[in-house]
Amino acid sequence: MKFAAEHVQADLIIHYGRACLSQTRRLPVLHIFGKWPITIQSCHKQFRQLFPDPAVKVLVFSDVVYSHCMGELQNAIKLNYPNVIFTKLNICSTFEKEEEFFCKSKSRKQANIKEENSQDIITPETQLSSKSGETDVDMISLEDSNNDLGNGYFCRFGREFCLPAHAQLEEYDVFYIGSESLCLRNLMMSYNKCQFYSYDPCTNVGRKETLNVNKALMRRYYMIQRAKDAQVVGIVVGTLGVADYLKVIERMKQVIKLAGKKSYLFVMGKLNVAKMANFMEVDVFVLVACPENTLIDSQEFYKPIVTPFEMELACLRTREWTGDYITDFRDLLPGASASVELDVEESMDDIPDVSLVTGHLRPTYSSSEVERGFSSTSLVERNQETSLSTQHHTSAAEYLASRSWSGLEQKLGETPVTTAVEGREGIAAGYSHEKGLNQDSQESPSSE
Amino acid sequence: MSRNAALPLNQQPSLCTMKLSDEDLQYIEGEREGKGFLINLIDSPGHVDFSSEVTAALRVTDGALVVVDCVSGVCVQTETVLRQAINERIKPVLFMNKMDRALLELQLEKEDLYQTLQRIVESINVIVATYADDDGPMGNIQVSPEKGTVGFGSGLHGWAFTLKQFAEIYSKKFKIEPAKLMKRLWGDQFYNPKTKKWNKTEGEGFTRGFNQFVLDPIYKMFDAIMNFKKEETAKLHEKLEIKLTKEEKDMEGKPLLKRTMLKWLPAGDALLQMITIHLPSPVTAQRYRMELLYEGPLDDPVALGIKNCDTQAPLCLYVSKMVPTVDKGRFHAFGRVFSGKVATGQKVRIMGPNYVPGKKEDLYNKSIQRTILMMGRYTEAIEDVPCGNIVGLVGVDQFLVKTGTITTYENAHNLKMMKFSVSPVVRVAVEAKNPADLPKLVEGLKRLAKSDPMVQCLIEESGEHIVAGAGELHLEICLKDLEEDHACIPLKKSDPVVSYRETVSETSAFTCLSKSPNKHNRLFMTAAPFGDGLAEDIDSGDVSSKQDFKARGRYLVEKYEWDATESRKIWCFGPEGTGPNMVVDCTKGVQYLNEIKDSVVAGFQWASKEGPLCEENVRGARFNIHDVTLHADAIHRGGGQIIPTARRCFYACMLTAKPALMEPVYLCEIQCPESAVGGIYGVLNRRRGHVFEEGQVIGTPMFHVKSYLPVNESFGFTADLRSNTGGQAFPQCVFDHWQLMPGDATDPTSKPGLVVVATRKRKNLSDELPPLDRFLDKL
Repeated sequence: MKFAAEHVQADLIIHYGRACLSQTRRLPVLHIFGKWPITIQSCHKQFRQLFPDPAVKVLVFSDVVYSHCMGELQNAIKLNYPNVIFTKLNICSTFEKEEEFFCKSKSRKQANIKEENSQDIITPETQLSSKSGETDVDMISLEDSNNDLGNGYFCRFGREFCLPAHAQLEEYDVFYIGSESLCLRNLMMSYNKCQFYSYDPCTNVGRKETLNVNKALMRRYYMIQRAKDAQVVGIVVGTLGVADYLKVIERMKQVIKLAGKKSYLFVMGKLNVAKMANFMEVDVFVLVACPENTLIDSQEFYKPIVTPFEMELACLRTREWTGDYITDFRDLLPGASASVELDVEESMDDIPDVSLVTGHLRPTYSSSEVERGFSSTSLVERNQETSLSTQHHTSAAEYLASRSWSGLEQKLGETPVTTAVEGREGIAAGYSHEKGLNQDSQESPSSE
Repeated sequence: MSRNAALPLNQQPSLCTMKLSDEDLQYIEGEREGKGFLINLIDSPGHVDFSSEVTAALRVTDGALVVVDCVSGVCVQTETVLRQAINERIKPVLFMNKMDRALLELQLEKEDLYQTLQRIVESINVIVATYADDDGPMGNIQVSPEKGTVGFGSGLHGWAFTLKQFAEIYSKKFKIEPAKLMKRLWGDQFYNPKTKKWNKTEGEGFTRGFNQFVLDPIYKMFDAIMNFKKEETAKLHEKLEIKLTKEEKDMEGKPLLKRTMLKWLPAGDALLQMITIHLPSPVTAQRYRMELLYEGPLDDPVALGIKNCDTQAPLCLYVSKMVPTVDKGRFHAFGRVFSGKVATGQKVRIMGPNYVPGKKEDLYNKSIQRTILMMGRYTEAIEDVPCGNIVGLVGVDQFLVKTGTITTYENAHNLKMMKFSVSPVVRVAVEAKNPADLPKLVEGLKRLAKSDPMVQCLIEESGEHIVAGAGELHLEICLKDLEEDHACIPLKKSDPVVSYRETVSETSAFTCLSKSPNKHNRLFMTAAPFGDGLAEDIDSGDVSSKQDFKARGRYLVEKYEWDATESRKIWCFGPEGTGPNMVVDCTKGVQYLNEIKDSVVAGFQWASKEGPLCEENVRGARFNIHDVTLHADAIHRGGGQIIPTARRCFYACMLTAKPALMEPVYLCEIQCPESAVGGIYGVLNRRRGHVFEEGQVIGTPMFHVKSYLPVNESFGFTADLRSNTGGQAFPQCVFDHWQLMPGDATDPTSKPGLVVVATRKRKNLSDELPPLDRFLDKL
């Protein structure tokens, strides 16, 4: 979509409908979420039923399509519940009124910390009325949006909120307005220490979310183990719009290389099972995509697909599993809140690890060996244990050699030389010379 | 508690010391005719759940001392141990333990005791005959008291004898050579003290030689001491030249009996005799064991080194077990040198079970940090260890998971992996109480996996951490170790669950078609069940993916009546490339077929690992590829098109072939007094067990009942059984086979259906079975 916009040399994108609110790289985006119907009263009622204690600490999130009424709801709930915090949409890459823009980006911090009940949720109307300036979106770079965040400030999935001093995130419950969606699941994964409640305005049902986050996390942990076992990693570019995607790809390459694995880069638009299974030599894929679409939880794929965060967990010794989960890859970049140092310094112990997935030893290849393309005559340093080790690298080439069918035989000199002849013509569903053979070619047109 | 431990022994005629592990037979000492022996005793647990430990011990030894309780006789685990020993070419000798019970508690008459002992010898020999031929490589390995390969005694009281010892005592009196006299002391040999004549049949005035010369003095001694006949006791002591100290002379009753017997017939002497005379030395044993041990060509330097037990040959060593050290998380690798010499600081190649010669996988070049002698709890550093010996290695534990081969020869192949007689069919999911402890749990699991030869620790796709073991007891011990020693964090444990297998019970109702996502490729396949026994043949390795396809084809044609051409066109086994399922190419003249073989195989490995019913492994299914149509362009029939399609097609085949579940079944042997048999039947019936053999243990009031018991019903079985029999019945359960669960697995109300639903729920799958049309396409 964003590319299409660039093709027509657009200056601005207006995005209709639900959005993941990720920051874009090239073009400013204005969102029109639409106003889905919601009855404030019944929502309020459900809220009171779910949280009978007025002192309860609750964070309120909402699906973007209900953002239009949040102010109203906030006023209603805040009356009785002093400890409720409403999250605001933080569409910082989009533009508000031109004159507001600069002062806002400066005053945002103060505004947040004072926790004013600001009413400036950007409604579609205000956005539409705003004129697009010539301001470059990249101006509001990561440093802006992350470094000025004091303690207690959170911004994920384009939603920001600020906890009062000394408050811990774990103490809060979360109330989500909207139906079950990717957005809710991502929120639950990210804030996995909080209990989630949801209210669905369509069905008018409020309930405690029972999706076992712990189980979901455990499943992701399994994926990380698979990623640790992998020798060949495919980096799949699932976005060409989200800000900093190139930086993340570069970082992924670096991280994978440091772990002694080999990486290949794939750009394949929308993922599907058939496309992914075409690369049998790849052991695991990393999907670089916007936070909402990065979690692929389907078992249909031949090889697991992990997020950049999970890949870092698998590859970097400095990143440890703490139970937290990060879906936004921008948090991983240097300077961001959850970034860790790359352990460029090579540790000397090359002790292999036991994989609990395969039950075999998981070889550790030090990256320098990969770089050096070491040969059997190269000098290898002794480590403290006075043991010497040489290890070897497998790659896609070795995989190819292990295949039973590795391509056509050349038969050099056996086939007579001919001049060029006319080849096949037509589409895959039925070439011109085989018409009539493929009767069903019409009923099943190829999509490729 | 009954303990029929196997004591596999390793004997080495070179060093003059005796090292013993700490178990109850620790009084062996001494030399024989001035020549020293090194004997390594490895005690191994008797409970069947731990028979993997026995396997690990057998690999490094050459002989086994099979200990049998002379009161309860031969049990399931005795047979298991013997079978394993013989398959490993380990020579067994027999020791009848608990003679004191037979004399004191059961008060058997001499002839009755003889009959009991005789029956045990016979039943051991029946088992031996089942698994070994007389003209096999080990020669005749039947045990017989008259040859001295059977010992009698009491481990508790510390006395033991073989007929040789008695023969030596009497040989002067009769002026017959001990070897000849031994024959008189067993079997139908009767003696008349009046006429001093031997006879082969029982007659007036004739007594059996064994009773007269062996049992009689022992009975007299027991009688005199236990009935406090002081004078008689003193007389006997004098006659048998048993010298007691002053304090010992003041003893009476059992303590005196113990001292007396210990001095008269010290167990050490008898056992040492049996071991040194009848168990082979490494030089003898490795000659016939080599071909079973070595995977490589039988004439390469390593093979010859093993065969000749040559210290000058290249090193070849098998690590059979990891022994935890005081250093947490580190292990000593425990193994046996089969060829050459292992030394501290030596540079070696460490090859894991997946090492393939010429490849680099599972291979590490490292130095041995230290070689040590392992003696029970103690270790002692040693410079080097020559072949034929048992050794501990420091610093190689991190490069092996459980077992492996260590060599210095560059082209060496692996020593064969050990085969366990039990399978890890009972599993428990563990979870750290605090999710942040997860890395600790994982570390703990890795250590646990190392420390036990058989336990499996793995992460399932659902993210559950699974610990799988042979039985409830085994798991209980493993989990305790995990919580207290390895992970050191509080754990949440699920109830034990059984792993099931998915299979098919009929041939597919029709040929299933699946089309690739681009609709240009079609696969036509059917599924069919294996013939009875084929899955077991694959488990045991009689039919395997590594076999020559012609030999395999012949075997399948002969034994399972396969079509001759099809039997040669087996594409692959699965899951993991070796499992008990096959893909068979039944097509004729399909273009480009060899191109998609890799993709179909990949799809098959995937599908057979996670079956359509509840993502359990598939077992005993044969998939036939009947026809394939492929797109003419290579790009349109790539892996991406074929792998998911093949998987769907395999699922469709299974769903149309009456899918079924198989559950693991224990062979369960129970011993109890007759009065408790009724209680056993009640418990077994409630737990779907079925009795196939029962009878009295002749010469005793005990009954033994053999039954098949589904593993799933075995949880809490021991406790249940005890409470129903007043604590008199003791079961021993060992995994025996997989059994088809009757009923329609697709019907959620049937017995297998309930299992399917429960398993799907546990794995976070949808409650409903996937519909057939998700996998099946229309033409």
